[in-house]
Amino acid sequence: MGIPATESVADPSLGEESLRPSGKRGKENFHGRSPMQIALGRLRKDPVAIVCAVIVLLLVLLGVFAPIINNVLHISGEQSGKYALDIVESTDYTGTPIVGPPHGAFTWDHPLGIAPSTANDNLARLLLGLRTSLLIATLATIVSTLVGVVVGLIAGFSRGWLDRIISFVTDVFLAFPFLLGALCVSPILISYFGEDADKLATAQKFSLILILVIFGWMGLARLIRGQVLSLREREFIQAAQVIGAPTRRILFRELLPNLVAPIVIAVSLGLPAYVAAEAGLSFLGIGLTGQPSLGQIVEAARGYYDTYPLYLFVPVGVIATLVLALNLLGDSVRDAFDPKTRR
Amino acid sequence: MRRTTRALVAVSAVGALALSACGGDGDDGDNEGGPGAPTATTEGGNTGGAIDPDRKGPVEIEGAEAGGTVHLIDVTPLETMHPSEIYYTHTYGIGSGLMFRSLTQYVVKDGVPTLVPDLATDTGTSNDDYTEWKFTIRDGVKYEDGTPVTAEDVKYGMESAMDLETFPESPGFYSQEYFEGGADYKGPYTGKGAELDSIAVDGSTITITMSKPFPDMPYWGAFPANGPIPKDKAADPAKYALHPLSTGPYKISDYTPKKNLQLVRNDQWDPATDPGRTAYPDAYDMDFTVANEKIDEILLSDQGDAKDSLTFDDILGTDYPKFQEQAADRLVPGATPCTRYWAPDYRKITDINIRRAIALAYPTRAAIRAGGLIEGVNRYPADALLPPGTPGRADYTVVEGMTPGTPDPAAAKELLEQAGAVGYELKFLFVSDDPDAVNAKDAIVKGLEEAGFKATPVPTTLEAATTDRENPDKDINIRSAGWCADWPSGGSWFPVLLKTEDVAALGQISQNYALFSEPDVDQRIDDVLSLPIEDQATAWGELDQYIAETYLPLIPITYDGVIAAHGSNVNGHETDPTIGMPTFKDIWLTQS
Repeated sequence: MGIPATESVADPSLGEESLRPSGKRGKENFHGRSPMQIALGRLRKDPVAIVCAVIVLLLVLLGVFAPIINNVLHISGEQSGKYALDIVESTDYTGTPIVGPPHGAFTWDHPLGIAPSTANDNLARLLLGLRTSLLIATLATIVSTLVGVVVGLIAGFSRGWLDRIISFVTDVFLAFPFLLGALCVSPILISYFGEDADKLATAQKFSLILILVIFGWMGLARLIRGQVLSLREREFIQAAQVIGAPTRRILFRELLPNLVAPIVIAVSLGLPAYVAAEAGLSFLGIGLTGQPSLGQIVEAARGYYDTYPLYLFVPVGVIATLVLALNLLGDSVRDAFDPKTRR
Repeated sequence: MRRTTRALVAVSAVGALALSACGGDGDDGDNEGGPGAPTATTEGGNTGGAIDPDRKGPVEIEGAEAGGTVHLIDVTPLETMHPSEIYYTHTYGIGSGLMFRSLTQYVVKDGVPTLVPDLATDTGTSNDDYTEWKFTIRDGVKYEDGTPVTAEDVKYGMESAMDLETFPESPGFYSQEYFEGGADYKGPYTGKGAELDSIAVDGSTITITMSKPFPDMPYWGAFPANGPIPKDKAADPAKYALHPLSTGPYKISDYTPKKNLQLVRNDQWDPATDPGRTAYPDAYDMDFTVANEKIDEILLSDQGDAKDSLTFDDILGTDYPKFQEQAADRLVPGATPCTRYWAPDYRKITDINIRRAIALAYPTRAAIRAGGLIEGVNRYPADALLPPGTPGRADYTVVEGMTPGTPDPAAAKELLEQAGAVGYELKFLFVSDDPDAVNAKDAIVKGLEEAGFKATPVPTTLEAATTDRENPDKDINIRSAGWCADWPSGGSWFPVLLKTEDVAALGQISQNYALFSEPDVDQRIDDVLSLPIEDQATAWGELDQYIAETYLPLIPITYDGVIAAHGSNVNGHETDPTIGMPTFKDIWLTQS
């Protein structure tokens, strides 16, 4: 749990400008720095954080520009794509690829080989999958953060029955088994949109994000509520109340800036959790079927671990790398934001 | 007959997937078809016309040892085992092979089936125009509880199968169609004890009077639906379905519907009375809840119980190369009399040239491979509707000059241009929660769009696939289905698949998935049925070609093959080409 930023240099609610005396002070040219600037400075000096940030950025860029990269490299991750291979010419009668691994030689046309049965290029599909997985994980993170923060703020700041109700609801959601819930909710949502293949694809993404959010907002809500509980008795809040500031202003202009640290930490640790969760759900067939996503790629490759290992272990490696990099980055961010950490 | 396998469900909502067949060695890295299916497959479902009315029991297999428990592991759930309702290939194979005797039966040797007597003393005698059939039930046959089997019991069994309200999936519609008075007969349960007079019993002889010529009665008599049921013990069909009395070499010791079946030796079965079955193993342990990957893993491992195990589900395409490497002698390829086809909605797609264009556009070989099936092994491209091996079959292609299995998008586009229908929209179902079905759907969409169609796949789920397909008002204009011949004759294809069906009365589509209706064809079908028996086979073949060239209601996509496997102790596991199931009657275990 992060320490409220007010412990460190100055009260951020007054804005950064007020901290920085002008150079008129003279000799020392002392620049007071906001907690954010301190944290970022620490991150800049942390080699692990830099490496991880670079890796994450690289993967994000690969994902964002996936269709463009595929076009440039003349590969296709889908059967109807522009550079898609003909299945009958690229595979043998069992669906095993005859171009590239596992039986053929390495070829620059298809650096990671092609998929059995569908003759999709593995690199292309991986990039498309990365794109979808990152999109879902990011949206899930953003929405669950918003929900969690708002709920936590309201619960922490209000007293009495509202707090109790919200806490009860949070506990109920926490008690619900994630996997079973996903198994139940997903088909219901999909059956509403089942009529159209394109709408189905969107519906699946939507339902997956919804499931991840439903089972993910509680952690941050409790965290924020705890933080707010400890902050609300502080003098600056009482002062604001005495002045007559409306509750909304107190929540969003006084309390929220103090909570930036735990929010940033939760986001940076939540994102890899969502990537892994999406991969797991798609692997189980609950998430996305029929559109590329990292989990779906691993599920398709599962049977080939001994006959075509490259097909399975590259996507597994990419998921592992992404999640690991995000986790390490999250750790470094947590360390950077915690003023009590000795560097 | 209904063939239920995981692949069928995936395929049936997607489209029959074709395997490229015939010849060519897969090893030269070509995209040639599979390893050349065994002769039985190139002959197709050779349900053969072979009949041996004088075959006698007991059957002995040279070198066979008695003992052991055979483990059957499968993913396909075991549908009902009530003899009146058995109509899936797997329940038929297990039921008829091990438990339920009927008038006649098939024996298979070297992949060739022969019809021999079972409870009847011969394969039936008829009058000149096949409107009256006599069967004499032999003596000395008992149920598992020691009660003797009588001709009255066989009559009751036949009547029970005709009770379509109690047994909606029963094949008894054949009896309703051909037995005199069958059309109005509701069965003993719905009809409150009503009997069918056209089935007359005199001592141990049953005489059946037909309403029209039915030369295929001996083959129809092989179904468990035409076997004995003791009237007093089967008064409650639901209860009887949980433990039907066995007349075969094995009886039920434990049964969990759909999931599990345990069989033990039936000591009341006398091998001297049975010209077809053997009973070497002591027991059968059947599990129908094992996932495909697990089945393949168990059989490959060949450790412990796996040595005594076998499966009737196909080996997965991903595991087939492993089997070829490690266990080629334990693979059991085989033939079936099954064709999968696309049925354009005859009410909506009215221009025959558009249907021809679909036939030219369908990317069969790509769709087979994309769907995880094995070209040349468990699917191969179809041309005629009747599968290879059907007597009298005519070999033709639905469009002149086309190569079955390989699409010709240019020719398809030309036909569409002539018909003024470029960009014609085809709406078909696909199963969205089965990854193989989705991949196959993508291959089909690609092929259709290359040929100038607009392909709109409509998602459905594994649960809802059959219901959606049978709904005549669903917003799709092409359905995919498959059919396995119930006996070796066009007579088990055309009357069922292409005769006008009263969909409004039924509320759903029964077997005529194209909703095809042409009085000309209805008449021709009736005409063939009244021909002398020796002329019928060729006549069916000619009718097949006539219908395809004049109307093209169904677009044959693939014929099915089977690729099953067994453990190293299992012997006698061949494929019965009449249904594509293991030859349970010949199985024995090596005792170590």
